[in-house]
Amino acid sequence: MSIMRINVGPIHPGTHGVLKLVVDVDGDTVKNVEPHIGFLHRGVEKLMETRMYMQNPSYTEKLDYIAPLSWDDLYINAVEHALGVPVKEPAQYERVILLEFQRIASHLLWLGTFVNDIGQLFTAFMWCFRDRAKILKLLEDVSGSRMFYVNLRLGGFNKNPPEDFKERAYALCDYLEDKIRGYPDVLDANSIFMERTKGVGVLSKKDAIAYGVSGPVLRGSGVEEDARISHPYYVYDKIKFKVPTGSKGDSYDRYRVRYEEMLESIGIIRNALANMPDGDAKGMQIRLIGPIAKPDHIIMREELPRGEGIIYMVPDKQKPYRISLRSPAFINLAVLPKLAEGGRFADLFSIIGSLDLIFAEIDR
Amino acid sequence: MEEENEPPYTKEQFMNAEQEMTLLTQESLKQYRREYVPAMFAKMSDLTKLTLKSFVKWGRSNSLWPLQFGLACCAMELMDFGAARIDAERKGYLLFRGTPRQCDVMIVAGWVTKSIVPKVKRLYEQMSKPNYVIAYGECATSGGPWWESYNIIQGIDQVIPVDIYVAGCPPKPENLFGALMKLQDNIRDKIDRYATRGLSENLQGNEAERV
Repeated sequence: MSIMRINVGPIHPGTHGVLKLVVDVDGDTVKNVEPHIGFLHRGVEKLMETRMYMQNPSYTEKLDYIAPLSWDDLYINAVEHALGVPVKEPAQYERVILLEFQRIASHLLWLGTFVNDIGQLFTAFMWCFRDRAKILKLLEDVSGSRMFYVNLRLGGFNKNPPEDFKERAYALCDYLEDKIRGYPDVLDANSIFMERTKGVGVLSKKDAIAYGVSGPVLRGSGVEEDARISHPYYVYDKIKFKVPTGSKGDSYDRYRVRYEEMLESIGIIRNALANMPDGDAKGMQIRLIGPIAKPDHIIMREELPRGEGIIYMVPDKQKPYRISLRSPAFINLAVLPKLAEGGRFADLFSIIGSLDLIFAEIDR
Repeated sequence: MEEENEPPYTKEQFMNAEQEMTLLTQESLKQYRREYVPAMFAKMSDLTKLTLKSFVKWGRSNSLWPLQFGLACCAMELMDFGAARIDAERKGYLLFRGTPRQCDVMIVAGWVTKSIVPKVKRLYEQMSKPNYVIAYGECATSGGPWWESYNIIQGIDQVIPVDIYVAGCPPKPENLFGALMKLQDNIRDKIDRYATRGLSENLQGNEAERV
């Protein structure tokens, strides 16, 4: 049979944003996939070089709009290292708590859209968004905004957490654990979900390391690598947690890794809440002329919900001289042609969904 | 024998078949409208016309189907708009469709780069008329934080006409709900813009305006 070339996107409901794919198919078998990116490019690295240090968080948050706090925190962490500002201890614990809540919210959104993509399981979509709304409500009460928080300051936060923060966080953890443990009743018992994820898009351990993927995609292939353990930041070295890994490296393993990560995050939050000291978590106010950075170069790495994000920054006195971002989603996208080759055309969208791509971060 | 089998059209006509068909259809439609529709309407009483028009407006305003089309951050709030907390279906807004031909409302959610502009334009042209556009969020309204970027256009209204602007970065899903209610009011009140747009509402209007 002759090979047909199909154009998918750039505006397509299955691609989670604006991704254009040029797919060569032989019948129903995918021969070659060529991703075309750049439809959301806005030159964010260059824009960040024209702003003062504390003006940039509103740019870094929009890099990953499903988990805005994670990129924001990575940038602020790099700036704190550049300026030599220590983070207060209550603020370190609070950051860990908020980051883990953000990770759960991100994975919930991923799960809802993923199951919606592969089999119109709209029930799971509704459930995930119901639970995500509860997390966003807590984050809104802590920071003052629903989606783009911009509440991190040098050395802490813009304001102290509300008085009932601990009780509410404990209650939310109990609620989330109860609900998240109920998801496999719908998903793993569903034959459509199982058949469309088991054995689809298999990424071997060797390939995963060779392509340089990170995050749940790497851990789904059985590599135990997590920046929270290998390069600990804040108080992650004082908290014990497991790094869930898969065995086969298919779509189901990537789902399972993210699912277990949500439960692990709840454990981390409970641990951090128990050890969190009382005290002032306020950071430095934003001033027109802030502290002066030493001429050096900074490399910061953190475990974002999608993988390992790295910021390379050459600081100038009042603003960054050069910023370079290592986006985990960009490198995870590179593995898509390898995963989709030889599979069915319909499985292409299951694979795209399981990689958890985000195009603001890829195009930058 | 060869002369008999010769087709009744020339080669040029065959090459331009699509254009010919369009012209023919347009001609017949024009004739139909010129002769029958005014006669049909002349027979109706004023009360019937009023009832018919208000019926069309009622139906149109209560079944706004949005296009499933997200560009950037605001698309996350668009998903929340359709999910459990807001439940937009109770007002008839929620039937997100993948194809533009079945949709009435285009919600532009996110920043619009120069490379995506032709695609947005084409989607707008493919939607069935009358269609409405909501600019959701700062980026679609004015460029937002990317005002200085070399690859972003400062607002979608430089490309396609916009009916409702929603401010915020990002606006809450409740704001989108409010914007759609505002759009409903606009459709019902029939401000000038809509009066000259739709086919069914413009039967007595200028002949040249119709396709």
